[in-house]
Amino acid sequence: MVMSKRTGLCQNVEPAPDPRLGELGRRDLLFRFGRGLGGLALSSLLYQDGLMGGESPSNPLVAKPPHFATKAKSCIFLFMAGAPSQMDTFDPKPALARYHGTPVTRKYGSMEKRIYVGSPFKFAKYGQCGMEVSEVFPQISKCVDDIAVVRSLHTDSNSHPTGFTLMNTGVQRPGTSPALGSWITYGLGTENQNLPAFVVLPDKRTPQTDLYSNAYLPTTYQGTRLNPKGVPIFNINPPQGVSYEQQEATLDLVNEINKPYLASNPSNIDLLGRMKGYELAFRMQNALPQALDLKSEPSKIQELYGINETISEPMGRKCLMARRLVERGVRFVQIYSDGWDHHENVKDGLRLKGYETDRPVAGLLKDLKQRGLLDETLVIWGGEFGRTADNTMSFFSSNPGRDHNKEAMVMWFAGGGIKGGTVVGNTDELGIKAVENVYHLHDLHATILRLMGLDDMRLTYYHAGRFKRLTDLGGKVIKEILV
Amino acid sequence: MRQFKITFFIVSFTWIFSALTNSEVLCASAAKTFESDVKPLLEKYCLSCHNSERHQSGLVLENLDSLLEGGALHGPSVIGGSSQNSPLIEYLLGEKQPQMPLSGNALSKEEILTIAAWIDQLKVTSQKKKKELKWPWTKLQTPLIPEVNNTNWGKSSIDAFILNKQEKKGLHSAPPASPRALLRRLYFDLIGLPPSPEEMRAFLEDPSENAYKNQIEKLLANPRYGERWGRHWLDLVRYADSFGGGLDYPLPHIWRYRDYVIRAFNQDRPYDRFIKEQLAGDAYRGYGAEGKIALGFMRLGVQIEGSGDSRRDFLNDVVNTTGSVFLGVTLGCARCHDHKYDPISHKDFYRIEAFFAPTHQPTPASNQNSGKLWLTDVPFTPYELPNLNPKIWKRKSQGWDDKLANWKKSGEEFKKKLKERTEGQLNYVLTSPQDLKDWALSGLKHTSISRSSLYTKEEEEQLRIIGKQTTPFINPNHPTRFKPIAYVPKEPMGSTMYAPTTFLLQGGNTKLKEGIVEPGFIRVLHDGPESVNLDGFSGSRRRLMANWIASAENPLTARVMVNRIWQHHFTKGLVPSPSDFGNNGMGTVHPALIDHLATKFIESGWSIKNMHRLILQSSVYRQSVNHPHAQQLEKIDPQNHYLWKMPSIRLESEVIRDSMLAVSGQLNPLMGGPSFFPDFNNEMMRQNSTWWEPDSEEERSRRSIYMLQLRSLISPFMTVFDGADTSQSCSVRSVTTVTPQVFALFNGPLAHRQSKLMAQRIKQEVGNVPQDQIQRAFQLALQREPTLAEKQKSLAFLGQEKNQIHEASIKKISANLSVNDSDQKTAVVRDNKKYNGTLSDLCLALFNVNEFIFME
Repeated sequence: MVMSKRTGLCQNVEPAPDPRLGELGRRDLLFRFGRGLGGLALSSLLYQDGLMGGESPSNPLVAKPPHFATKAKSCIFLFMAGAPSQMDTFDPKPALARYHGTPVTRKYGSMEKRIYVGSPFKFAKYGQCGMEVSEVFPQISKCVDDIAVVRSLHTDSNSHPTGFTLMNTGVQRPGTSPALGSWITYGLGTENQNLPAFVVLPDKRTPQTDLYSNAYLPTTYQGTRLNPKGVPIFNINPPQGVSYEQQEATLDLVNEINKPYLASNPSNIDLLGRMKGYELAFRMQNALPQALDLKSEPSKIQELYGINETISEPMGRKCLMARRLVERGVRFVQIYSDGWDHHENVKDGLRLKGYETDRPVAGLLKDLKQRGLLDETLVIWGGEFGRTADNTMSFFSSNPGRDHNKEAMVMWFAGGGIKGGTVVGNTDELGIKAVENVYHLHDLHATILRLMGLDDMRLTYYHAGRFKRLTDLGGKVIKEILV
Repeated sequence: MRQFKITFFIVSFTWIFSALTNSEVLCASAAKTFESDVKPLLEKYCLSCHNSERHQSGLVLENLDSLLEGGALHGPSVIGGSSQNSPLIEYLLGEKQPQMPLSGNALSKEEILTIAAWIDQLKVTSQKKKKELKWPWTKLQTPLIPEVNNTNWGKSSIDAFILNKQEKKGLHSAPPASPRALLRRLYFDLIGLPPSPEEMRAFLEDPSENAYKNQIEKLLANPRYGERWGRHWLDLVRYADSFGGGLDYPLPHIWRYRDYVIRAFNQDRPYDRFIKEQLAGDAYRGYGAEGKIALGFMRLGVQIEGSGDSRRDFLNDVVNTTGSVFLGVTLGCARCHDHKYDPISHKDFYRIEAFFAPTHQPTPASNQNSGKLWLTDVPFTPYELPNLNPKIWKRKSQGWDDKLANWKKSGEEFKKKLKERTEGQLNYVLTSPQDLKDWALSGLKHTSISRSSLYTKEEEEQLRIIGKQTTPFINPNHPTRFKPIAYVPKEPMGSTMYAPTTFLLQGGNTKLKEGIVEPGFIRVLHDGPESVNLDGFSGSRRRLMANWIASAENPLTARVMVNRIWQHHFTKGLVPSPSDFGNNGMGTVHPALIDHLATKFIESGWSIKNMHRLILQSSVYRQSVNHPHAQQLEKIDPQNHYLWKMPSIRLESEVIRDSMLAVSGQLNPLMGGPSFFPDFNNEMMRQNSTWWEPDSEEERSRRSIYMLQLRSLISPFMTVFDGADTSQSCSVRSVTTVTPQVFALFNGPLAHRQSKLMAQRIKQEVGNVPQDQIQRAFQLALQREPTLAEKQKSLAFLGQEKNQIHEASIKKISANLSVNDSDQKTAVVRDNKKYNGTLSDLCLALFNVNEFIFME
């Protein structure tokens, strides 16, 4: 029996055997800060402490170079939970209007008669590219020259829970595979150690915890759920009545007791890392509320995001927070918006979602652009699947809506590395099934990784006997949308 | 693009065949040799993945032998004299997908031709002889205890194995750990709690060999031992109090399985029997209720409502988990294809699956409501809480029905009122988009156009809670959890004969059936026939499998378990991937030691406690974590595979929490029964689909193993300190140092509450003299006296002693300021005004020091 040569590589307590580790000398595994003053201050502080040069504590979130040269440094994923309708937003189907009200001849599982539903929305061409967008998004349609739409996506699931999981983790079983944001932060680390690397800004009902779970990756890569209103993170502040001075004095005492212990246990490298962790936490306690403090933004900016209007305020806050976070070097921000599941009354329902999200999302794109951040931020918009071209008789006769459809869905991309004004693929005449340049959700994952500078075949983690990937079930890059 | 690729295939096909049939071409390339022509090409295109270290797909292309040996999928990669049939060429051409190399830079025609020509001139070799099996697939044999030079060091047979390797490597072991470190190690290792100051004092007064042995016996007999080691087992069996999946319904009776595990460890249940109980406890006469409760093991896989095939989910999970937990092999890898690294075939997976085939019948009911298939009345045994402590049981179970009825009543009243309030308002007609917007902006929050859009935020919230309270299947508070039900599969009579047929599934896909598979054992681990003979057999299939796993003849079972026991004493197993003993696992430098332990294990009647005794009495266990020549030895063995020192250990999440409760004096020793409901942050509870009423503080001060663990709602404290992943078998917990740990331990409500209670305890025990309080705080938290410096600093922290440096610095600054700068002077003094810590602050500091959560 010979000791396996791979031993050092297969430890799950450390980042997995990553081909890049070979290229990186240990000295290069340093904290690197690209953006953000907080980061700079911290790095200089670590230099003072002699932490940067010698044996660096094993900080798994250290910023790591990508596999490919790339533009995007951060990613904002706008998750429209419930699945927005493609034929009422970014995939115009004029033919469907002609069928409106006619029964579906094709057999369905359901016994109830089904009726085709034409889109209640007008479409028009926008921008230099002439992309067609529905009237639901009057503001977003002004940004189409920065947007690439993929109309020919499809997925494997027709139910929300599995659909959410598939979109976020590449598999349908919750909790078994790491989330997209976990993979990206595992591959790239983060650029501001004072803030969480992978942030989730939730809506009322979504997401469930397994949608931002690290699964088998180390916990470091778990998404951090921030409350868009109120205290952003559990326990970031001490309990009521505990003053800053009290914390500081107690921390001093902790350090005093820690020092001799550190000296008498030279072989334990975690001890120093943990002591530094207390200082970092102390700083995050300040940095995070600062990053999320929207009051410091001028009212013009607040208006740009629709924060001044009750209806768009919640989404506006999240979008503005997302900008402030990526500006400070946060790697991955995922924003959830509930309520796109319009089985009934797609007309009013979708319009309402438009009021809620159109200005915030367009505001985000415009604001990123005017700050020169759009180039280095990848923005993604979409839900977990598409919707049907028809509806049950009972809903049709009252308020027509649309049901779940995994055969066709639409998503769009903007920002870093994206060829704006592009429309990729097509669905059939009625928008029922993707037929031209068809892409699966797995392809979407490969594409997002590529845009973030990661090769999905090389981003692996050794677990349960093999090297696992986000794209284990397949995935090719959607090259049409790349610059 | 795709079009182009296909054309290319066709072109290359015709080309290669013409090449192979054209004798001229063959002659021209007759002189190809492996070293000069083929190897450089392989090096250029293939070796980055197919080298002996990465061996993707089990294939190594480094030399002629490895080419002939081939990979896991297709065997030999070249077939002498026949390039058409050689998988290597098939892959290079793309005839077999994916085309190689994966990078997409295909080899040029000339290059492929070179390789093909070389293959064709190769002599046709006879079938390669069967590979010889290597450890751990070989039969377990008693190894000889090795000779060592240093005969003074070792205390047990284990030490001889360790020392023998160390001597060969030029390593030497660390000095013995201090008695204090040793006693702490024993306590945390065996019961997961720190020793009390009194226990520590007694041991320090007499740290003799005898006293040490007595400590081991005392701790093994302590019921806390089962809670500590039961937790390790629960990690492996993916224990949780709910099904998982999107809806995450509770598993209200699974606590009986949890208590069973704790009991089994405390009673030192022979491990072979422990296996049999969990896999087939219903099929052995005499196992009684205990054997039925143990079957909860099979019910713990994640269940996804609406996945469409709950039977398939069950089978995949249970086969996979059985392989990992009991055999230490990644059997799940063989579900879709032959194992790529280990001698386990695709068929082996389905052979094992066939043993479980009768267990979860594919009836419509099993897809609709699989729960009922498993719910069986099993009266409480004398060892369970209801009979051990009827008084407490009665107190707990009573009142749940009333509570539920109350919730229901108040909920209905609320709904009625709400309906009255909103009646008639729905007539508001929305005609134009502008109307809709106006109406939406009028302050009513909603996401869809229905009655619910008329509710206020508070009402909506209230409604959601009512829904969660009154829906039985999402409410873990439900009184059914007090009923004597266990999760036992209902196998129909004669199920062996009428069991659903098991098929080999290509790619694990239920639609791609490829022939019938009979129950049988993993071939490489078994000498007998391919399938077990079921003719005339009417017993339990699972029992046959359990007998085979729980046997001294099985090469893996004992080896895997002794390695797990070792793992939890040394943080790392001798095989560091304890659930993967296969070729892609992390291997070991100590196969002989594992075999030695495994033999002893079986000889002792599979006694786990006996293994503890053996390991704990060795010298290697009693080493210090620090080695005077660490720097030098690290160069030889950086990963400490040869155990020349004891690794230092960050305590697990449960141990940290339980230790805080123990030193604050709050730990409630009550064992068993339904899990207690923790007190989670409101926001967290709101986000979740379930709801519960937190238990009393006394109840919540029980050990962490009794805390409710819903898969979608696990205590953040547990998660942040790397608690077990409950979605699948967890054999090694990761150890991270992340910032949210600081928030949990420095700001979190648990630490603050316990530090207050600890301060109260100290005041009660030693009174109000600060010196005494400080001393007691250190004794309780760290099991030692404070040093002089620590005493002074703590006193200063408590504001009891003038901080000399502090005072001096103020004096110095003040002196430098002129008399007129009195304002400034006050400012300096004010800025330096010191916060006077309280005793509970001191206790909080002690919870946060490294020494509290690291074991040395």
